[in-house]
Amino acid sequence: MNVLITVTCVSLSFSWASAEFDLAQIRLIVYQDCEKRGRQVLFDSKAIHKLDTSEPVTCKNPIVTVSFILKTADETKTPPNRSGACHIGSQAGDKDKPPSYQYTRPASDVNMIGEMMFGSVSMSYKGSTLKIHHIRSPPQLMVSKVFSTRFGSSTSGSTNTYTFHEDPKESYQRCNDSVFPAHSNPVDMPSRGHSEDGDSGIARSASLSSLLATPLPSPGSSFSSGLSSSYQRRWLRSQATSLQHGPMPRWNTEEMFNLSDESCNSNPAMIQRKKIAISIIISLPEREEENHNFQEFFFSHFPLFESHMNKLKTAIERAMIVCRRIAESSQRVQVYLCRVMEALGEFRMTVWNLYMAPRISEPVWLSMISQSTERNLLCQRFLKEMSLLMEHGAKSQFLAALLTAVLTHHLAWVSTVMPSSLPPIKSACQKPASQTVDLLAKSHPYNPLWAQLGDLYGALGSPVRVCRTVVVGRKRELVQRVLYVLSYFIRCSDLQEHVQPQGQMDNPASPCTSQTTDPTPEKTCPPKPDPLKPTACVIGTSEKALNSDLGNAIPGTSVEQNHEILLTDTNSTSPSPSSESTAVRPEFTEMGQECFGEDSDSVGGGLEHILANQSPLLHRVQFHIGSPSETANDGQAGGLTGAGCGRGLDRKLHQRLLSDIRRKESSDSALGDSDDEETSPRELYGATEQNEYELPLPSCQVESRASVNHFGHSLLGGYCPQYMPDFALHGISSDLRLKQCLMADLEHTVLHPALDEPVAEALCIVADTDRLSVQVVTSQRRVCEGGRLGRDVMVSNLVHTLITSVLQLFALNIASDFCVMHLEDRLQEVYFKSRSLAEYLRGQTRVHVKELGLALGIESSDIPLLAAVASTHSPYVAQILL
Amino acid sequence: MNALVALCHFCELHGPRTLFCTEALHPPSPSPPQPGSAIPGDRDREADREGEGLTMRANSSATQRADMCEGCRSLPASHPGFVSVDSETGIRYLSHQHPRQPQLFSVVRQACVRSLSCEVCPGREGPIFFGDEQHGFVFSHTFFIKDSLARGFQRWYSIVVVAMDRIYLINSWPFLLRHLRQTIQSLQDTALKVFDNEQCVCPQRAVRMNSAFSPAVFPHQRSGNAARSLTSLTQHPNLWASLHSSFSWLLKACGSRLTEKLLEGAPTEDTLVLIERQTEQEEEMSGWEGAEGGGSNPQPSQSESVHSKDFQFDDGRQEDLLGPKFKSLRHLRQVLGANDFRQLTWHVLMGNQVIWRGADPGLIQSAFNVLKALLPVGCVRAVSYSPHYEEAYRCNFLGLSPDVPIPAHVSSSEFSMLVDVHNVERGCVNPVSDDDILSLYQFNISSANTQPTDKGPTLLNKIEVALSNGNLSVEVVSLCLLCLKEEWMNKVKVLFKFSKVDGRGKEDTQKVLALLGATGPGEEDNVRLLKFWMTGLSKLYKSHLMTAVRGGERTLSQ
Repeated sequence: MNVLITVTCVSLSFSWASAEFDLAQIRLIVYQDCEKRGRQVLFDSKAIHKLDTSEPVTCKNPIVTVSFILKTADETKTPPNRSGACHIGSQAGDKDKPPSYQYTRPASDVNMIGEMMFGSVSMSYKGSTLKIHHIRSPPQLMVSKVFSTRFGSSTSGSTNTYTFHEDPKESYQRCNDSVFPAHSNPVDMPSRGHSEDGDSGIARSASLSSLLATPLPSPGSSFSSGLSSSYQRRWLRSQATSLQHGPMPRWNTEEMFNLSDESCNSNPAMIQRKKIAISIIISLPEREEENHNFQEFFFSHFPLFESHMNKLKTAIERAMIVCRRIAESSQRVQVYLCRVMEALGEFRMTVWNLYMAPRISEPVWLSMISQSTERNLLCQRFLKEMSLLMEHGAKSQFLAALLTAVLTHHLAWVSTVMPSSLPPIKSACQKPASQTVDLLAKSHPYNPLWAQLGDLYGALGSPVRVCRTVVVGRKRELVQRVLYVLSYFIRCSDLQEHVQPQGQMDNPASPCTSQTTDPTPEKTCPPKPDPLKPTACVIGTSEKALNSDLGNAIPGTSVEQNHEILLTDTNSTSPSPSSESTAVRPEFTEMGQECFGEDSDSVGGGLEHILANQSPLLHRVQFHIGSPSETANDGQAGGLTGAGCGRGLDRKLHQRLLSDIRRKESSDSALGDSDDEETSPRELYGATEQNEYELPLPSCQVESRASVNHFGHSLLGGYCPQYMPDFALHGISSDLRLKQCLMADLEHTVLHPALDEPVAEALCIVADTDRLSVQVVTSQRRVCEGGRLGRDVMVSNLVHTLITSVLQLFALNIASDFCVMHLEDRLQEVYFKSRSLAEYLRGQTRVHVKELGLALGIESSDIPLLAAVASTHSPYVAQILL
Repeated sequence: MNALVALCHFCELHGPRTLFCTEALHPPSPSPPQPGSAIPGDRDREADREGEGLTMRANSSATQRADMCEGCRSLPASHPGFVSVDSETGIRYLSHQHPRQPQLFSVVRQACVRSLSCEVCPGREGPIFFGDEQHGFVFSHTFFIKDSLARGFQRWYSIVVVAMDRIYLINSWPFLLRHLRQTIQSLQDTALKVFDNEQCVCPQRAVRMNSAFSPAVFPHQRSGNAARSLTSLTQHPNLWASLHSSFSWLLKACGSRLTEKLLEGAPTEDTLVLIERQTEQEEEMSGWEGAEGGGSNPQPSQSESVHSKDFQFDDGRQEDLLGPKFKSLRHLRQVLGANDFRQLTWHVLMGNQVIWRGADPGLIQSAFNVLKALLPVGCVRAVSYSPHYEEAYRCNFLGLSPDVPIPAHVSSSEFSMLVDVHNVERGCVNPVSDDDILSLYQFNISSANTQPTDKGPTLLNKIEVALSNGNLSVEVVSLCLLCLKEEWMNKVKVLFKFSKVDGRGKEDTQKVLALLGATGPGEEDNVRLLKFWMTGLSKLYKSHLMTAVRGGERTLSQ
């Protein structure tokens, strides 16, 4: 411990959780909902006993769980002797007898949990459903995924083998009957366009997923105005997840619970009306603060939790398929239980690690951009560590190889060197914050956490690849030095959180806070501040001002769009149908611009009277259709405020509108003051296209603070006791477990990317500080000679000269701040080179490496790096080079 | 946030109903790609809605009318709804009883039904998240509102937040829960007061206990009670307006809860210089000239502003001038021939004064435009066409009319070169195409320079390779040139820092030159180039380095 602090003085690893996190706090329940038989528990870790208690390996026996509580204090210092989960893996299985398990009585809450998992009415939706419940006492979080099942017809329906009180033959029979459901009527939720065949879903979602996979070509080819792929990604995300387009299934919506045995897949899979749900129930810490911390962590890191749940699900599927092949009943149950317990052990361990593992306490890049006062010291420290590292691996070019790999795959650095076209705000050397991204985030909110995750995994190229880096080595200090240096090159945006200060009195979230009067049935209690006063004045007076405000905010765009909507929708419009508005006079129709104002003629008065009858709210609201003076120059007119709507309409439309009102009146008059709760959406759409009452947008004071629970902190791991599948960067002492898990993890990442967008390839950079080797392992399994994990990295000459010259400058005692600026300049050169490579490749079918070298100064060793960088701004590059 | 908020109610007579819905309309996309209308499948969706099981009896208003009561309604059908506009972003928050966007109608209906009659929440009041890719994702919070006339003295409501971005919604769980609880608490508290009050006036429990139960009358009796609206339960006349404000705020606050700071690269030196020139120009325009310089004569600054204008606008201006022009460096090279071109560009890169003398200002200016690309913006001082000679410190590109004499100290100087453009007489009979410059003009290059121009600088050697390779398009060549310029500009920065800021000795400087790759063949030329280019660094950069040194010293001394 002392060694760590004094010698490196840089990587004081820290852990997230202040408290211990008990592995037994995670419970797994697998439930089945069969049309005929109803619900059955297929697994509940709470109701399983391990028979052999002599081993400390137990996971679920409440008595033995004590051995599972790993104290963090010890944890971060020395790799603990991991009892439990890590031994559940295959190594243990080879040596020892597999543990045997026994069912105990089902837990008392399983019925309730079943209800929560499936709902009181089952859904006929075929895809998977995600649910999260919060159980108050005892405090627990429950995450459930409900799947439809898919069977290979040869072995259909034998899931009952796993139920607790099984009677295999009987259940097999019963479950296969397809009788009309007796137990509850599933709510019919037909899947759109899915009815014909299972494949159509893919075709439909393909358009968008391909959109996501390939960023649009950047609009300007000029260096200064080209939008970065960071921007593109964010913009596409906001579009892909926009509500304005309605639900748009994006990808992997057809995820099912697969029970078809691949070894006998003679028949196409069939889908049964049976659901299987998997729930993970996490007991929350009892202390309020820990509880809060864990929840904040859980919800901000949910994609990672979910990804591991998917892995668990796959393991359960396999367990069910495998044990079906076993004839003997009790043995079958044992195999099933063993396998699921093993998978659960993995899951618990991963979650535990995710929460508890040490992190790099001061990632260089994030620290540099967040605190400018410490900049000089940071730069100095960073360069010092890098120099030491350079010396250490000088012969093997370890650092150059590692940085080549990191810069090639963790591509988020590219947009941080793309030259800004804007004048610097502070000083020349400080990189400006991207204003385009900032503006985008405000007008088209996207999830910054998601953006950050993509940055860290380097998912900015085309096709989308995600990458992690693992540094292996027995020398803790050395590994930590590598991690520290890499935390400068593996970049992401910094997150700020804006929260309301504690104890703020007037909370905009509470609609009734300002109501002080005691309510009596007769008396109305005016709220203060009165939201209506500003309304009247906004609508009555400053419509022009408002419009121009908006016009400024989004120049030339919003106004036009609104105009369009108005024009198309007035055809079907029938605004404010009311029984008494016969007062609308013909002259008015002709004028079409009159103002229904308080102080207007009898027309306005009449309308106001009507409106007032309907809601007390409307007393003081002035109501315009059209603006008094400005309809003539409607070229740039547009109604953004409710009142302004009429301005964009021409006279014809006005007439139509008003005659519509009258038609509506006459048809409705017999029904009196009718109200259609469920008017058709089309009608609603039209009807509401008119003048909403404008209310001011409430604002409240917010405090900004650095966000804690973000990936920039959580995914840059320290020297961890064990290999971690989630971290963008971390160090480990031995690659034993890495070798066991890595390929499966990479494949899993491609199938269930935590990034929530399709991923073409998952990669892992493995840097071994003992052997001074750097390899890249890919999910696209290519044969690697000699049982090695991946391929060695070819050192890019560009990277080599870059590091060399920066460190030589540092050695010449040039200010470290300047050396770091120079480093950024050199990275920018790499970016420029990638632009010329991209331009060179445009329209080329063959690449002449020699010509590249002669003409562009691009050596063959630089091509992988430059091509990867180029693919972030010129997606076509990948296609040419592949 | 890309979401909508809706208040739903489980009506005792009519089941789950959407009461009030606030949605955010975002301004059109900031980038060109398709507006919402281009999204495929809008039609399908329209048709699908009919089949949507959960909407139960389609949407015929005739059947629905009977299915309405006060409790299922927020705003009357004739009410136009509410809008709030976020003037900073252009996002409009709209509230109606139902979502205004048709494609969201069934989404909200689904969310409503699921939140109130499908999903099970332990204790019935509390948060749940549910959803799938097809129907969207929902954060729902169910709660009771006291009603002295309702069965069990309470009614069941939920607030749902619907979004397509599952992860975003889940990430926002703690935030949404915290604020929706406040909203709900405030509704419940208000309703509780009303309830207590009503109970005081007329204790319902007693009424119900005393009234004889008759199955025939019961439903009838109840139906009257079922009609109480939330407004009446809270006695809050502006309930919906307030709710609109709360929901709008929630959407806005949730969307801006987290912001990211994403950095871009620092602007290039060229950009900085251009910005500086522009500001200077603006300051001069507003009549502030001389305020800073004091004694220095105003003439140079004026002409400088002309030059910078030149630089920015000459592309436009060039098109005004008719006649043949140089289109690219490669074109210039073809016309002049490799040898003359090498000489010319060598002088340009070394910072020598390059004078073109000829009768066609358009041609000369086009030559300058092409040649300027070789230098950093800050190194370009051009007088594109002048009736008299201008000194070298004023301009390194000078265009002159044919009869202007060159002073002797200039023509004998090794730091200048002259290109004389002569009209070719014989060509004027036939109209020749503009492109064929050689048939119209003849070029004479002269300089007193005795140094070899064929060794360096390295930059020029590389450019020539690119120019002579016909496979490379003009775009590739210009990108290649840009790379080289940036590369050398970065060396310039280091040298500036080293020699001018830190004032290091020759030995150290030699080391730096070596590590920059400026040594070797053509070293002398490289060094000259670096020194000349140093004059083109932006003021901002230079002053930053100077102050950084001072700042650094301060931190060290502390």
